[in-house]
Amino acid sequence: MTAVTDTPAQQVRLTAGAQAALITVIVGAVCLALEGVAPWLVKWPAAWELPATQWVGAFLDWFLNGIKPAMRLFSDLMTYPMNAANYVLGNTPWPILISIVTALGWYLGGLPMAALGFIGLSFVLASGYWAESMNTLALVAVSVPVALIMGGAIGILANEVPRVKSFVQAVLDIMQTVPTFAYLTPLLLLFGFGPVVGLIASAIYAAPPMARNVMLGLERVESEIKEAAIMSGGTRLQQLFQVEIPAATTQIMVGVNQCLMAALSMVIIAAVIGGFNDIGWEVLLTMRKAQFGESLMAGLVIVVFAVVIDRMSGTLATERKRYDSRVVWAMLGFAVLFTAAFWAWLPNPSELTVLDPMAGAIDSGLTAFTQANGPWLDALKNNSLFYVLLPLRIGLDQAVLPFTWGFQWTPSMSWGLFAVGAAIALLMAWRGHLTGGLVVLILIGMLETGIGNLPWPFVLTGAAALGWVAGGWRLAALSVGLLCTILVSGLWERALLSLYLSGAAVFFCAVLGGLIGLASAVWSPVWTVVRPICDMLQTIPLFVFLIPVLMVFQIGEFSAFLAICAYAIVPMIRYTRHGLVNTPEEMMEAAISSGATEWQIMRDVRAPYAAPTILLGLNQTILYAFAMLVIAALIGTTGLGQSIYLALGQADVGLGISAGAAMAILALIADRMVQGFAEERRKALGL
Amino acid sequence: MKKLSVSVLAILVASSAHAADMGAVDEPIKLAINEWTGQHVTTHVAGEMLKAAGYNVEYVTAGMMNQFQALADGDIDATLEIWSSNVSDEYAKKIDEGTVVEIGDLGLDAKEGIAYPAHVAELCPGLPAWEALKDCAQVFATAETLPGGRLVDYPADWGTPGADRMTGLELPFKAVPAGSEGALIAELRASTERKSPLLITFWQPHWAMSAYDVQFVELPAGEEACFNDPSWGPNPNAVNDCDFSPSRIFKAGWSGMEEKWPAAYEILTNYQLAVEDQQPMMGAIDVDGGAVEEVVAAWMAENEGKWRPVVDAATK
Repeated sequence: MTAVTDTPAQQVRLTAGAQAALITVIVGAVCLALEGVAPWLVKWPAAWELPATQWVGAFLDWFLNGIKPAMRLFSDLMTYPMNAANYVLGNTPWPILISIVTALGWYLGGLPMAALGFIGLSFVLASGYWAESMNTLALVAVSVPVALIMGGAIGILANEVPRVKSFVQAVLDIMQTVPTFAYLTPLLLLFGFGPVVGLIASAIYAAPPMARNVMLGLERVESEIKEAAIMSGGTRLQQLFQVEIPAATTQIMVGVNQCLMAALSMVIIAAVIGGFNDIGWEVLLTMRKAQFGESLMAGLVIVVFAVVIDRMSGTLATERKRYDSRVVWAMLGFAVLFTAAFWAWLPNPSELTVLDPMAGAIDSGLTAFTQANGPWLDALKNNSLFYVLLPLRIGLDQAVLPFTWGFQWTPSMSWGLFAVGAAIALLMAWRGHLTGGLVVLILIGMLETGIGNLPWPFVLTGAAALGWVAGGWRLAALSVGLLCTILVSGLWERALLSLYLSGAAVFFCAVLGGLIGLASAVWSPVWTVVRPICDMLQTIPLFVFLIPVLMVFQIGEFSAFLAICAYAIVPMIRYTRHGLVNTPEEMMEAAISSGATEWQIMRDVRAPYAAPTILLGLNQTILYAFAMLVIAALIGTTGLGQSIYLALGQADVGLGISAGAAMAILALIADRMVQGFAEERRKALGL
Repeated sequence: MKKLSVSVLAILVASSAHAADMGAVDEPIKLAINEWTGQHVTTHVAGEMLKAAGYNVEYVTAGMMNQFQALADGDIDATLEIWSSNVSDEYAKKIDEGTVVEIGDLGLDAKEGIAYPAHVAELCPGLPAWEALKDCAQVFATAETLPGGRLVDYPADWGTPGADRMTGLELPFKAVPAGSEGALIAELRASTERKSPLLITFWQPHWAMSAYDVQFVELPAGEEACFNDPSWGPNPNAVNDCDFSPSRIFKAGWSGMEEKWPAAYEILTNYQLAVEDQQPMMGAIDVDGGAVEEVVAAWMAENEGKWRPVVDAATK
């Protein structure tokens, strides 16, 4: 809905945006008018649905059983490194492990890194989850190399064979957007039970960032370097491995860093399957008992690992100076001596309970908070539901009831609303904003019907129109084609519910995140406070947040909405701030010298320049919101996320994969459209 | 009565059986550890019995829903607390394939029902009689369920028994699926702490029953006829107008187990655990913070008479 292209009213030829909006309005109006005589226009009849989920299931059963022996062999092979990593990490005395990490920190980043490693691991030790953490680390230690090799190979392949590049991009998108829960059942069938499944799942999720960065890095190798390699007469392999990859190292290291983070964020999913006693399993157990303090502690262990790994591997991507390696040897030597000297007195790390009182305090703090603030929190929830979320989902015509708004919605009110919408549209068209006016009319129509009840022809036309404006007829065709697969597979209603919930969350995140980003950009103390919160929101296992949200707001859509927002708002904040802060100096100087005020600079220079970056942030927010839908289903939403859990419970491979695919389709379409608009803005700015 | 006959049967089987072959004693028997404490207790007691018989036992964590593939492949050898109320469809598939076999009831006497924390009785006088809910629905109403009351139901993947009751009994309640067990507990906890109204689908044995003083609504008895014959029960036009049918809790094993460890198979088949034994152990772990190994070890030492005969019958 961002394509607000201005059209002078006197001009007869309509712009692309106005044409698209006009067609959408007409289709919407026709659907509304015929609602009574042709109900199939609004709700896709069940008789037209194909048993697609069953077909998918049958095909996958056949396919999976075919490749099962090979995969089982792979699984058996992977247990060796897995057991080895487990054995080494599990049996190394903790002082030695702490000193190794501290020494590594020193080697990579000097004193601050060493301190980070030491404090971080000391926290893990004090939490009493040492043994479980080591199991988690063992999983990461094996899955990351697998992901790196996989991602690296994909990236190099795409670089060497340019024809497959767009296909590879699509595959990477699918790997990142289909929720892991959707393919857990087939993975279990293929690889058998145990940690190997978790390992594969995290490798699948962690490989794409590596592949993307390898592709980007190789692409950016300067042509002079490549030519020099060709002239020196090396084979293609020699050129690649001895010249191009080393030249792209910095970018590839960014990939390694992202890959590590992604792998770590998946440990909790691996725990859902079970197979070994890791920190994710602890989070699940405490979550099941709704013990917020304990699950926060277990979750923080993962955050600590994430921060330590992130900062340390982050130094790999930047040029760094060398630190004295004698210090490394001194630290290791001291640790060995310490361990040998105090061997008999070393406490068993599983019995440490230093942080237990803290967990208890957090838990009772939550209780006190809910008790003290119950009434106004309830009021907040009810008002948000009555006046915002319910109308969005089922439309004003059904949400406005004597119980909620105090009066009953009548058809004449609908007509009144449409009349107001038409008046606004006419006024805007007269003032020269035809497209804007039409979009307002569409939005008012959507509010009256509710996203959950939108007629399917309207949704298809709307998607086609947006796709056409954002990226031409190819994107329009792609959007419609993909949406049709959801329509005939019988998952349409659930998809609309998912669309509504994530759409509402994205809208809220875009507004609030944008404002926070703006505040952080203009006033740096805000950013000092916001940044660590953003870091934590992104790395802590999301399950942990569900408990306090549930305690305060109970099961239901509002809780799910908040949980999604808590996660999806982060990229919006980050990218908005980043875009606004990084305006090129010369543009700023020109603006200042022309005597613009601070506010004028923000509005006329910084904001337009930052627009592509902010749109990229919006794109990430959309993807994050869809990713969170599955987790939100744990607090009782009814969209595609719930279908995925149903499929998991019934071991219904077809339903799981289809629902996962539907989710990925929605995310992909949204993603391509936003990228299309961002591209347009970038061209307009001459970037 | 059913429970009694089962245990009598178990004793008969145990006493009449000849000592079975021990089988592959060197290889560990892998028992599944699922997500809830009661199951940990059940499994550790069984594991200790196998150890007492001379076996090696390994405990393997496994998601309740995902464990059956592992059981079929022999990656796990037995899982000892399956609730008929929320067993996944995959279990039935594996039973049909013959890769997983059921190895008898556990003997835990479970109850499911519509429940509420004790303080709710003050908000809706007339509870625990179910008829009271007819007039109290307003008390339980929330934004999502207006004008009806709100019933927190099981997560959707466990089925919708609560919603079925509300329809059957024509109670003005809308069932909201919880999404996860953690969500159910959070609801109970928030309701108890804030003294707010709550109607929830719940079950026992569960540690939260005592921790939040949860009471069951008294519904007409869940007889077989109620689920087939609409005319049965208070609502002449609907089925499900009664309490839950009693759920069965049973054990299952890998199909190759009987051959590989005959004596262990016999022990697990005859193994029984009563609510009176399990519930205090759960309390000792979840409420008093004990470790499952220690709590089970203490129980084993005190109650040797309850488990030793089963082990002896299979091995001597």
